[in-house]
Amino acid sequence: MSSQHRFIDAHAMLGNEVYLALDEGELVRRMDDAGIELAIARPMGSGLVVNHREGNDLVLKTGPRIRGLASINPWWGRPALEELARCRDLGAVGLFLDPLRQGFFPTEDIANPIYERAAEYGWPIMFRTGTYVFADVIAVVEVARRFPQIDFIAGFGGYADMWFEMTAAIGAVPNLYLDGSLLWAEGIEEVINTHGAGRVLFGSAEPRNRYRVNLRSLERLELPDDVRRAIFCENAERLFKLTA
Amino acid sequence: MTRIIDFHTHLDERWLHVKTASAADMIAALDRHGVDIACVFTIMGFYEDCRAHNDALLERANFRPDRLIPFVTVDPKVGADAVDELERCLANPRFRGVKFHPWLQAFASSMLRDTMLQILRVAGRYQVPVLFHDGTPPYSTTYQIAELARWAPETTIVLGHAGSADYVDPAAQLIRDLPNLYGNYCGSRPGDLLHLVATGGADKIIFGSDFGAGTWKLLPERIDNVLEAGLSPADVDSVLYTNAARLLHLEEQPLTRRPSETNGAARPAKTEVKS
Repeated sequence: MSSQHRFIDAHAMLGNEVYLALDEGELVRRMDDAGIELAIARPMGSGLVVNHREGNDLVLKTGPRIRGLASINPWWGRPALEELARCRDLGAVGLFLDPLRQGFFPTEDIANPIYERAAEYGWPIMFRTGTYVFADVIAVVEVARRFPQIDFIAGFGGYADMWFEMTAAIGAVPNLYLDGSLLWAEGIEEVINTHGAGRVLFGSAEPRNRYRVNLRSLERLELPDDVRRAIFCENAERLFKLTA
Repeated sequence: MTRIIDFHTHLDERWLHVKTASAADMIAALDRHGVDIACVFTIMGFYEDCRAHNDALLERANFRPDRLIPFVTVDPKVGADAVDELERCLANPRFRGVKFHPWLQAFASSMLRDTMLQILRVAGRYQVPVLFHDGTPPYSTTYQIAELARWAPETTIVLGHAGSADYVDPAAQLIRDLPNLYGNYCGSRPGDLLHLVATGGADKIIFGSDFGAGTWKLLPERIDNVLEAGLSPADVDSVLYTNAARLLHLEEQPLTRRPSETNGAARPAKTEVKS
């Protein structure tokens, strides 16, 4: 693995969700094993869907190797904005929304105050994408058109059966980025070849996926150094406003 | 390193406008990545005339009869003709399974219940597994496919993606609960595999790559999905080889270098289909 740049994981998950579980200590152990310097984590399970304070604390009150994406259910209404303010004070670097588990279309008005608050804080918004109905990646494109001042990230990259929409979706708006954490390497390669490396983030989806799987898959693409720097490091530094 | 059977690949000339790997290219990739045997399916046969595509698939698979096992597909929307085409193909013991892709083939089994029941019973009579794409609404949800295992309990039904992205837990539970339902671990990730094995059972999960729908790069990535899950060596062996070998009857009906050496002697005796 090249040491010309640091490795930033743009999408890890902490908490417990159905059959997945990961805590900070185990994530850091896996990061060390894989040579990952920094991970951007978001809550999963009840901390993602209903118990936001608990879930956000889990990803925001961590050591220096992990930075957190806040999450909030837009149906919370006014208290949602208060929770986001608390998360900003705790150092959140962005917002994660899972319209499938949180129960809303990305284009529904109920979510607009959340988007406006993210814009005010200068946060990128990562959506879970890939599941038909609520997590339709094209719905995220629609939101990206409405909020051009916000950078959006297609979490999971449309995995699984919206993979074929990703290249067109990224091309449809300038403020949408691909999280390659669950997408197979050739899907990532197609976006790089079509739209450039500036639109792609390396992610792990730990604990669902494994660092070793994704790192090896990307190695097989034999990407040039400037592309590797962009997807493993520079794009995340820019979007999440991370300082080296 | 265990032996590997890839239970889910596609061997066609193209997928829509994209040229796909030839049989020679596929064998070369299998060799590079330590895969012994691949079950091969059509792609364009999901959209076009099944009969012609079944014949073309068999011809391609005969490039290496000892390595490539063709699965037949039929179009259940045409009714009795689909059953006849299935019988025609399964009379040739080179075909050792049936593949459906209800999403691409544009049918819901519940709308074609009589035909699907006949098809499943024919497959059961020939003792070949029937693999369905799953994980995608509106025709291929994991629940829709698992229901077929209840329709035809004598037939082996395989969830072609073991829940894929969004139905992994339902798949694991249904594989556990239905004796004739198996999961083809094809595309989902190591954390998913741990759950499928823990809940569905290591003897009911089978590796697949979807090679042919993508290039050779899918193959090592998807083998990594198995090897990096943290399964015991015995479970890895079950998932990568043993379970597939059992469903394909490789011990009773070994593959041979020449297609003509594979005769129908090991096929179960035909009986009338009861509808």
